[in-house]
Amino acid sequence: MDRVLALTATELRLIFRNKTVLTSTLAIPLGLGVFMALTGFGSDSGASVVAMQLAMVLGLGIYVAATQTLVARRQSLVLKRLRTSGISDAGLLTATIAPVAVLALAQMVLFVVIDLAIGVPMPSSPFALVLAAVGGLALVVTAALATSVVTPTPERSQITTLPLFFVMIGAAVLLAFLPLDGMLSVLNLVPGAPLGSLANVAYGGSAFSLMQVVSLVVWPLAFGLLAHRNFRWDARV
Amino acid sequence: MTETAVRTETAIGVRGLRVRYGGFEAVRGVDLEVRRGEVFALLGTNGAGKTTTLEVMEGFRSRTAGEVSVLGLDPGRERHLLRQRMGIQLQEGGFVDELTVGETLELWGRLSPREDRVGRLLDRFDLAGRRDVRVSALSGGEKRRLDLATAVWGSPELVVLDEPTTGLDPAARRRTWDAIQELQDGGRTVVLTTHYLEEAEALADRVAIMHEGRVAVAGSLTEILASRPSSFSATLPPGVTPPPGMTGPEVLVHTTDLQRDLTAFLGWAAERGVTLTDLRAAPASLADIYLSIRSESAEEA
Repeated sequence: MDRVLALTATELRLIFRNKTVLTSTLAIPLGLGVFMALTGFGSDSGASVVAMQLAMVLGLGIYVAATQTLVARRQSLVLKRLRTSGISDAGLLTATIAPVAVLALAQMVLFVVIDLAIGVPMPSSPFALVLAAVGGLALVVTAALATSVVTPTPERSQITTLPLFFVMIGAAVLLAFLPLDGMLSVLNLVPGAPLGSLANVAYGGSAFSLMQVVSLVVWPLAFGLLAHRNFRWDARV
Repeated sequence: MTETAVRTETAIGVRGLRVRYGGFEAVRGVDLEVRRGEVFALLGTNGAGKTTTLEVMEGFRSRTAGEVSVLGLDPGRERHLLRQRMGIQLQEGGFVDELTVGETLELWGRLSPREDRVGRLLDRFDLAGRRDVRVSALSGGEKRRLDLATAVWGSPELVVLDEPTTGLDPAARRRTWDAIQELQDGGRTVVLTTHYLEEAEALADRVAIMHEGRVAVAGSLTEILASRPSSFSATLPPGVTPPPGMTGPEVLVHTTDLQRDLTAFLGWAAERGVTLTDLRAAPASLADIYLSIRSESAEEA
């Protein structure tokens, strides 16, 4: 555990040394989230604002940033070198991804404060938002590991992360507005869709559905399995 | 335990190792033995399979077939135990450019299962003056020294060095040789790959030369050199017919009995009053053997 913490602390320090990473990890998601809170994002209930804030932080702050970090560390052989130290493989991946996840969680807490200050309505079922945050975290972390498999360079990650990022954002926004009843609840199976539908549940706009949990469990399992089978530690094939 | 006794124990045993990448077989049935306390050099051309063989020993690459034992452990299944006892220097890269030299070693110290001091290694590898310099600003030679410092952190039982002196100037290369010698003096086992034959001759107790995925020659330098013919050469004066079986005027003879054949040649010259110029005699060198393996292979192809 000490080794994971030591590497996590170093990775965190590196984020604050690199202005580009700091901007994409912290400033952009935070700025967009504040913008959405200020504009209300086309709804009075707060569901769409919270859904977009969640999707931005998870999508940009973790998914895109973690993919880029993993690929950069593999490309520069840092992962390979660190595997020669005493840290375990699982610990190495955890410590590489943890800093962006910690910063994203800090942003979520910050959004709660900002939303309260601006006057975004309070959710009636905050548990639904906690479920969305935890499930979303599992989704984006495993998706980053899986996407790194098909991403040869850090620059290419700006392209390879786009499809899932837009699907996540689009589904989250759409399902924050739509009350999903009956057969429509199948739409929850789109990756990231439960971020929106659970925000809707939190604000009383829709009923809780088992599909949301299924989606939040199945996608991380699928991405995790893909990464487990194909993850590459070395830039050299 | 005496030094001789220590070196009879096997540190690394490799039997019938094969590694295949898709349709390409990079390692094609390698047998190797590295004894405890020795410096073992793995030589070969680019693409000979040296790094792949090392990566299997380190537990970073799975084998298609064969048996590998490193310090009594299977590197494929017991890498977590092996890395506590093994230090590795990669062929290139692997450092975070934004960290300083001191931060890199401090992090390494916190990740390593072995104890050591940052200051000791900075002094040992002439990096004390570069402690606060970012890795991105280091020269190639300084990075190799930092690399070596991480590999020997905590004096592991086994140190694997992949081309440790590539890109170093002669003085830095000499310091690296001294560090490797120190490791051996301390009873450590060292496995290194190198393109520099003089490095293998200077450091290694035993060598293996790999070519196209196989071990072409292996053994102590004395054994290997004795197994190959020595040579002598001389230039005859114009108009002198060389002895039977030789061509002139520049005579070059390869022989497995240098003393007998050279004595006979000199006797032949003395009897006829022939003055030889550029007379040279030499045992086979590692370079000769290395080049002959390459040329034999090219002829077969």
